[in-house]
Amino acid sequence: MTGTILRRLLSMLPVMGIVAICVFLLLHLAPGDPASIIAGENATPENIARIRTQLGLDQPVWKQFLVWLVALVQGDLGTSMFWGDPVSSLIAQRAEPTVSLAITTLLVAVFLAISIGVLAAAKAGSWIDRLVMGFAVLGFSVPVFVVGYVLIFVFAINLKWLPVQGYSPIADGLVLWLRNLVLPSVALGMAYVALIARITRTTMLDVLAEDYMRTARAKGVATRSMLFRHALKNAAVPIATIIGNGIALLIGGVVITETVFNIPGIGRLVVDAIARRDYPIIQGVIMVFSGVYVLVNLLVDLSYTLFDPRVRG
Amino acid sequence: MRTGMAAAGAAAAPAILSAQTRPPASRTIRTVMHGDIPTYDPIWTTANMSAYHGAMVYDQLFGVDDKLQPQPQMVSKYGVSDDQLTWTFELRDGLKFSDGTSVTAADAAASIRRWAVRSGTGQLMLQRLKDISAKDDKTFVVSLKERFPLLLDGFSSPSTPVLFVMRKKEAETDPMQKIDTIIGSGPFVMNQAETRAGSQYIYDKNPNYNPRSEPASASAGGKVVKVDRVIFQNMPDSQTAVAALQAGEIDFYEIPPIDLLDQIQTDPNINLINLADLGTVGYIGLNWLHPPFDNKLLRQSLLYIVNQEEMMKPTFVDRKWYAACGGWMTCGSPMENDANTGWFKGGPNLAKARELMKAGGYDGRPVVVLQATNIPYMMNAATVFAQQLRAAGYNVQLAPMDWANVVQRRANKGAPDQGGWNVFFTSSGGLSNANPYMIGGMATTGDKGWFGWPSDAKNEELRTKWINAPTLAERQAVGRELQENAWDIVPHMYYGQWRQPAAHRKNVTGWLKVPEAIPLWNVSKT
Repeated sequence: MTGTILRRLLSMLPVMGIVAICVFLLLHLAPGDPASIIAGENATPENIARIRTQLGLDQPVWKQFLVWLVALVQGDLGTSMFWGDPVSSLIAQRAEPTVSLAITTLLVAVFLAISIGVLAAAKAGSWIDRLVMGFAVLGFSVPVFVVGYVLIFVFAINLKWLPVQGYSPIADGLVLWLRNLVLPSVALGMAYVALIARITRTTMLDVLAEDYMRTARAKGVATRSMLFRHALKNAAVPIATIIGNGIALLIGGVVITETVFNIPGIGRLVVDAIARRDYPIIQGVIMVFSGVYVLVNLLVDLSYTLFDPRVRG
Repeated sequence: MRTGMAAAGAAAAPAILSAQTRPPASRTIRTVMHGDIPTYDPIWTTANMSAYHGAMVYDQLFGVDDKLQPQPQMVSKYGVSDDQLTWTFELRDGLKFSDGTSVTAADAAASIRRWAVRSGTGQLMLQRLKDISAKDDKTFVVSLKERFPLLLDGFSSPSTPVLFVMRKKEAETDPMQKIDTIIGSGPFVMNQAETRAGSQYIYDKNPNYNPRSEPASASAGGKVVKVDRVIFQNMPDSQTAVAALQAGEIDFYEIPPIDLLDQIQTDPNINLINLADLGTVGYIGLNWLHPPFDNKLLRQSLLYIVNQEEMMKPTFVDRKWYAACGGWMTCGSPMENDANTGWFKGGPNLAKARELMKAGGYDGRPVVVLQATNIPYMMNAATVFAQQLRAAGYNVQLAPMDWANVVQRRANKGAPDQGGWNVFFTSSGGLSNANPYMIGGMATTGDKGWFGWPSDAKNEELRTKWINAPTLAERQAVGRELQENAWDIVPHMYYGQWRQPAAHRKNVTGWLKVPEAIPLWNVSKT
């Protein structure tokens, strides 16, 4: 097992290397000039050129890439061109809101999606099934920002139950923390719930049609036990896979959700950085997000061994 | 160089201590300004948000009153010699930096020197400067080689870069190098412990600030802080910002979208307020280096094509927020005049435009228009502009891109089909555009000048004449000459002038009007 984990961890290296090359080249070959933005609208071309030199942007792209790569290998993500702060500390400052949003979304979405997916499979063909599938289509089709604005309008502006925007650190109190996360988590979780619920339903239908399930039913096993102890466990591998793949969806959604709900997380950090071409921040965040995605997929792969003994062999 | 917040933190002990106690909401003003603070050095950049930050933590030697006249702020008294070449300034008592040290004349002199290198007015002063020196702790002298009537206008100007007074230690930094230490003598102290760059910037009342006794008037008079804390929240999504204002989560929103004003006006808890009478001017840059607008007749043809009303309306909808302006300098400013504006008074005239196009030998080559799609007023103006030019017979190619791309591409002097351009859109503060020297876009110094690189010796002579004119009446007379010439050579054009209303909760009052700045002193919350 340890050998497997080590081999998989080592296999991450070339993946991250390719990500690094792509991220750097895409950013630096795309148009846009951070020096002009830093200098301000009334700056003279000479001032802009001086700032460009100070930032090292007048160097050849290959040279800039080497400098960045050497620092990256040493664990240095660089320094923000605008604020002068290390990218790693900016990411660290913004990590709590993003991790909080991702975890609450993940927990609520997985719990809700598996529940309604199992229910839809158990009641296949009924109005409950159609309702769940209708919700799944809607949840997957409506963009996160539309859901977000509707939630803000209903629950924050009209009903005044929850705040419009912002984030309250967990250190300031659990209730405040949760109040600020309810609407963004629901908005972000919609597509995720839809995705997992559909896969859960489909996989459960396959499992429920198996002979051993019919046998269990004939032996009088209680429905709840049959669904959750026997069927769900056997349906778990595809569900775990889709949860892992859905992390990419979640990461993309975090960027939009943090903007709509003004959550000072890593998503907002990168959106703002893109608008002004703060290359080190964009590169650093994408490397971190890519690392998380690759790690999550590794964990998903490892989780197969828990659900399916055949994989261990 | 490892700089930024970490380096600045060491110098911010008072701010860190004050971070331990958070003032109540009733003593805190939460604002959403038009953008994020790109850097904390308001001299190094001309970005307005850095000047907003500067106005919080630094003070000025002079401010402007509500009639835009210079008035002493950090200075207690000043005088000028009979030959107008020696200016003597004395600082008022009780001025302290946030690190507890006193503000001295040496700090002021060093700050003037650093500012002057980066400022248009400052550079004019440097050309005439013999020396700036501190006579004692409170007195400094500016000695000139020749008269410079704009000295106090420059010292007091709220247009970026603003002359903020820093400690000598920071002010002696190369003006081309950014400083990150934030120690000023302004009405607020930045709370660096709680500030999160890119998210929220926190300013606490400066307990050591000693305001003037006169009532506040624009950036002059007493800067009395009536709350304990001001927060600049960076909230790029305008829908969210409006919702937050309606829910009372923020107190002030500088740029509510015009299309949401109806929604805001129905809220009984929110007021709209115009904080900048001169507003903003829409600027159309024309490339003089390449055809077709290297040709004077073809530039003149644009005067008879461009319809500012049509370019403004899609964005600003209601005429109370925008106006067409035929002036070379900002309409509503003392320099507004009607010299050589027959083209404007007569409205668009496509027949005349076509005559000029024919006389100028327009050959149907594409006109490349850079269109910033992430700035709605520029995007809309460019779309309408393109259609107006097409109607006249120009072959227009819109080049849609984001603003970061526009600012890069407009620096390209190459031909339009080789990465260059013919037309770009930007905007300028109404105050900056109310004179011929504040922004680079008013100069015609050829390829050493601002983007578009217009070249005209007469305009340069007149600009110098304007700068040296000792009275307002004489400046106005030169202003007419400048405009007469400008609408003949057409170095650039305008797509209108607008006033962006700000929105605030009704329980937050005391807002002061300062062009191109949002002062947070004098503002109280009930």
